[in-house]
Amino acid sequence: MTVKERDFVETSIPDGKQLNLVRYYIFSPFLRIFHWLMVISIIVLFATGIVIMTPMSMGEGQYVALNEWHLSVDWIRNLHFVFGFILTAAFLFRIYGYIVNKGDRLLPNIFKIKFWDDLVEVMLHYCLLKYTHKQFLRNPMARMSYVAIYGLIIVEIFTGLAMYFQVNPNGVGAFLFGWLTVPYGEMALHVVHHLVAWAIFLFAAIHVYMVVRADFMEREGEISSMISGTKILAHLPDDINDIRNEHGKIIKG
Amino acid sequence: MEKYDSIWDMYRKKGISRRSFIKTCTAMTALLGLAPTMLPKVVEAAEKRLPVVIWLHGHECTGCSEAFIRSGAPMTSDVILNMIALEYDDTLSAASGEPFEHHLQEVIKEYKGKYILAVEGAVPPDASGGYCMVGGKSFLEQIKEVADGAAAVIAYGTCAAWGGIQAARPNPTQAVSISDVIKNKPIINVPGCPPIPEVMTGVIAHYAMFGELPPLDNKNCPKQFYGNRIHDTCYRRPFFDAGMFANDFNDAGAKAGWCLYKLGCRGPETYASCGSMRWWNGLSYPIQSGHGCIGCTSKNFWDNDPFYQRLPEVAGLGLGNIDKIGAVATGALAVGITAHLATSAVQKKKRDKKEAEKIKQALEEQDRQSKRKD
Ligand code: HEM
Ligand code: HEM
Ligand code: SF4
Ligand code: SF4
Repeated sequence: MTVKERDFVETSIPDGKQLNLVRYYIFSPFLRIFHWLMVISIIVLFATGIVIMTPMSMGEGQYVALNEWHLSVDWIRNLHFVFGFILTAAFLFRIYGYIVNKGDRLLPNIFKIKFWDDLVEVMLHYCLLKYTHKQFLRNPMARMSYVAIYGLIIVEIFTGLAMYFQVNPNGVGAFLFGWLTVPYGEMALHVVHHLVAWAIFLFAAIHVYMVVRADFMEREGEISSMISGTKILAHLPDDINDIRNEHGKIIKG
Repeated sequence: MEKYDSIWDMYRKKGISRRSFIKTCTAMTALLGLAPTMLPKVVEAAEKRLPVVIWLHGHECTGCSEAFIRSGAPMTSDVILNMIALEYDDTLSAASGEPFEHHLQEVIKEYKGKYILAVEGAVPPDASGGYCMVGGKSFLEQIKEVADGAAAVIAYGTCAAWGGIQAARPNPTQAVSISDVIKNKPIINVPGCPPIPEVMTGVIAHYAMFGELPPLDNKNCPKQFYGNRIHDTCYRRPFFDAGMFANDFNDAGAKAGWCLYKLGCRGPETYASCGSMRWWNGLSYPIQSGHGCIGCTSKNFWDNDPFYQRLPEVAGLGLGNIDKIGAVATGALAVGITAHLATSAVQKKKRDKKEAEKIKQALEEQDRQSKRKD
């Protein structure tokens, strides 16, 4: 498979060399919209969640001054719930994208030995023991970590909805999610929800660092890819087969 | 003592009018949380035979019985003397010893498949462990034997329903709930430590009247008594919504009766009738008296410590609350990222320098070669 068509040349490389750059189409709009909605909602959800556990209070017998701007617990909780539903809805669209677009399905190929070899290589790179690694559309470590973060978000959505719908234990919502309160009691859901919230926060911090680092140090065109859906790469990425269509053609941007 | 066939029979024999009988039935209908249109059914039920009840006590403190005997409506005396035929209860009966145990065997035989078994307390599942022996047998053996012939089982109290304090860490007797050892019978959980007396009598009265279990939720608790969160029925809820909290049991907020959320109130995840029915005929309930709910009807409530913090600590780690753990992890991560970034930058610089040197050398080599050609 050659990648000649629509190649373009970048000449701004410092030492005067030329690179053939190719634009690959990877992420559908569903994934990108979900990603940025998730960024916003997770920031809001985490902030409001922390305040829900330790609501503001101005000291002995004092009204919360922020009440004046309606930052009451009631309001904070409603904000949390609204963004909880936004996140959930966006996630459902993300699943639709997963079904229709191959580039939205960059999962770990855990049944291939090569995947694990590559994972070791990338991990050595991030342990600063190996200077370069093969180029990927999405490297094996990122693939693993995104599966993990989706798992955490699903836990957050399920525990969140379970707590939320228990206002009416006889309703439809409680019928769908209420079973989660049975095995360890509802308090356990709060504890899990809160622990996982911190796990997601820590993931996000590492993720943003890694993405920015990859973008600046390895020219992987990361950040723009989450906006345009395409990546501009100098080499044929090692995992290019993941975005070939059924005729073996690479989906280009 | 005179024996009655039904509640109506009792009223008749005592010379009380049909009118007051219907009145009582109306009150009962309201008490059981039924619609007024159910009155004819209640009347019909009150004219039927009294159900036989066997009441067992396991691994417990008997606090549930202490609560039960203080029920105001229906009065406990009405329940145990008139609404049910309480054939065996080793703490309430005057009889004791061999003859009483013998009586239990007879009741089991005579009413096989028809009696209700009410249980208080958890079960230590190791029959040879020597914990909780009743009449020379392990409680496990006793409860299995009695449950075998029962029509239904009512698990009174958190211990019977979830294992309760007996099953709290480190649970030396490995105590479990009734539903963990009795699998083939319908079980009604009536948790609470103890449950509200009127809830205890209400549940058994419901069975006595209709001969069937009340509607149950997904935890097998009667919906009419466990269908609402304390938090959603709490009269201090407006203070919660407005963000007005007691920060300390001695502060002005506590005196003003503000929300106890910050003092560890478990109302937001506890289901009981305390907020709506209250205790001792509506006199009060824990939150009204100024102490947060401790979640006594919930599974594992005793392990969700400390009680005076909003969320329990992660069991057994002793690391403080979750936000503290999170903040420490974030600090460590910030240090890690900074170090990683700095090292990668240094590495890149070195590498770029080497690369540049190589290119320079190559260029010089080219230069030299071209010079030689000249
Ligand atoms: C990644 C997304 C989320 C994060 C980071 C997050 C974070 C948090 C945190 C830190 C708390 C405080 C823990 C507590 O006091 O119980 C909380 C509470 C809660 N969250 Fe979330 N949450 C997320 C998603 C959701 C979703 C999707 C829902 C569903 C509507 C939801 C519903 C709730 C509810 C009902 C509570 C308890 C509020 C209360 O007790 O007053 N959360 N969340
Ligand atoms: C400003 C902040 C952020 C930037 C610049 C950013 C950037 C990116 C980029 C470039 C990718 C694509 C990685 C690839 O090429 O494989 C990506 C993927 C992803 N990011 Fe972020 N991200 C940010 C914040 C977050 C946050 C807060 C979360 C959630 C906690 C998050 C979760 C994810 C996930 C789950 C993916 C995988 C996408 C998929 O397969 O659906 N990101 N992000
Ligand atoms: S539930 Fe509580 S009050 Fe009832 S027996 Fe157990 S420990 Fe005692
Ligand atoms: S006192 Fe407890 S139950 Fe009442 S509103 Fe406050 S947190 Fe909820």
